[in-house]
Amino acid sequence: MVSLSEPGSRNALHGVSKAALDALIATHGEGSIPAQMRYDALARFEELPVRQVIRGGRTWKHDLSKLDLSEIDVLDTIYADAVSGGLTARGVIVTDFDTAKARFPEELARAFGQAVDTRDDKFASLALAFQHGGTFVWIPDGVRAEEPIEICYEPSGAAFPYTLVAVGSGSSATIVERITSDERASFLCGIGEIVLGEHASLRYTIDQSVGPASRAILTRRAALGKDATLTLALAELGGEHVVERVRVVQREHGGNVEISAFFFANGDQHVDLETEVVHAAGATHSETLVRSAGTGRGQGRYLGNIKILKAAHGADATLRDDALLLSKEAHVDSIPALEIAANDVKAYHGATVGAISEDEIFYAQTRGLSRPDAERMIALGFFEPAIARFPGEALREGLRAALEAKLDV
Amino acid sequence: MAETGLRIKGLRASVEGKEILKGIDLVVEPGSVHALMGPNGSGKSTLAFSLTGHPSYQVTGGSVSLDGEDLLALAPDKRAKTGLFLSFQYPSAIPGVSVGNFIRSARQSLHPGDLPPAKFRKMIFEKLDVLEMDASFLPRYVNDGFSGGEKKRLEMLQLAMLAPKYAILDETDSGLDVDALEAVGATVNALRASEEGERTGFLIITHYPRILKYIKADKVHIMLDGAIVTSGGPELADVIERDGYDRIREEVAGGVA
Repeated sequence: MVSLSEPGSRNALHGVSKAALDALIATHGEGSIPAQMRYDALARFEELPVRQVIRGGRTWKHDLSKLDLSEIDVLDTIYADAVSGGLTARGVIVTDFDTAKARFPEELARAFGQAVDTRDDKFASLALAFQHGGTFVWIPDGVRAEEPIEICYEPSGAAFPYTLVAVGSGSSATIVERITSDERASFLCGIGEIVLGEHASLRYTIDQSVGPASRAILTRRAALGKDATLTLALAELGGEHVVERVRVVQREHGGNVEISAFFFANGDQHVDLETEVVHAAGATHSETLVRSAGTGRGQGRYLGNIKILKAAHGADATLRDDALLLSKEAHVDSIPALEIAANDVKAYHGATVGAISEDEIFYAQTRGLSRPDAERMIALGFFEPAIARFPGEALREGLRAALEAKLDV
Repeated sequence: MAETGLRIKGLRASVEGKEILKGIDLVVEPGSVHALMGPNGSGKSTLAFSLTGHPSYQVTGGSVSLDGEDLLALAPDKRAKTGLFLSFQYPSAIPGVSVGNFIRSARQSLHPGDLPPAKFRKMIFEKLDVLEMDASFLPRYVNDGFSGGEKKRLEMLQLAMLAPKYAILDETDSGLDVDALEAVGATVNALRASEEGERTGFLIITHYPRILKYIKADKVHIMLDGAIVTSGGPELADVIERDGYDRIREEVAGGVA
């Protein structure tokens, strides 16, 4: 049960109540999301059930149905910083989400809601209702923005950011989103929306490294125009309990999606990762590669879905997910699924779950590596096919170091 | 002073409770080349795995010392540190670990701190040359998607880079074409001619005599059913080439009868 504080309770601002939403709007104004839309979203959040991932009898330490939001303060602020890399001279907009409607109403109206539909989604509704903070990136048609745009979030307490990225026809952009927080127990509930025009190309990299006591529920949705390309790389490193749900819809002919993601649940960490690629039009291509691992008492679930609709003639989809268990108490479920309604398509999925093979350890030992060193090398190597798809050697080195540090805990 | 050599005395070993090695006696002296020949199933690979400490192989009797050190008491990595190397017949793939990093880690473990990065690079390029490989081999993941020939070349690259005191080559020649076989021979001979490897002793396990055209053996041993049944000079390999193992098998059976 989600506990909500009752109106008129000791502090109405604590918890995700209507009173708290009243207070949020009174303090900050409605910002870029109309008040009525927020109240509707809150009502949906309160009504919709927590979608359960059924999986035979396992007890999960962390679960959205056990989430207690009664103590959160929706008026907490999020520190956000976006670096546009000198692109504004070419019509590129990089701004905070709250003032986007006032400053760039036309652009916002053209992009907002194109990929996200919160109607049947409990936590996306929550994020929409209390949205405060976030980033709006707008790349006009025909702009090749080579310089990476960096978006940094550092929540303290509760944060509900909305990140909207729109890339116009024939344009390209590179975005790196970093989410960090300190040791305090912060709560992050956000929406990421990506809208790509015809022949647009976006490389979007996410480095989620929130503090070890933090919770995060992130909903990411992308919609691709004709012949658009989305290259998404997701590193889920931080948090006590993290839920990251990605859905990419290829509505138009000829799109191309590459998703690479990994998580490594250590200590008492729990990570839920979902990716879904919907092929709704012909000649669309997607490739999903996920590496998930658990050590200590870490738990995780990966749900990978490929949906090929009837109209998607000639679609080509690949889903590859591998899970590695490094301790007896760790548990990772890896659940790939293909739903195919069209005939003339190519679809492949492969999944493995297992421990490090004794033969690999022995082989490395005969080269002088101690058993712990061999296990370490093999475990880090397990993530490498995913890490190799992240841009920039400095970032890749940082990710490797973060994984190595998790092995030491 | 401890006796030098890889000294195997009365070695018995089992796999899943079944005795495979029934008392092996063999001494590989520093700088010497011994060939161990035998048909499939004679226990050659079991000997290689028992010497290197594979967990699935239980040594049930006998002793093995390497330059005086009791090998059987040591974990596999410690055996490697005494100077023992195995070129695997079927080496494992380690996805995500590059050939370059793997060999660098191995070299660091076995010869701590002796090679600065620039010298390491120079050395590995030299060894690649001998194997007729180039630098594009190094970023590839260890044995991941390698052809049979590439796997054996990587074993030889490691042999050259690790310069062990004693090297066991377990059917390194099997499945190789003539070019690859020449590259294997060139690597072994280059190591033997080098300062680092001139005292390396070799135990070359093979089914076929042809590899001995590229690597000259000082001594040849024939293994049948878990025991060395006869030993001799290089001419023994010619006998096998001409008559196969059946003749020796008959002789051994006749001798017993």
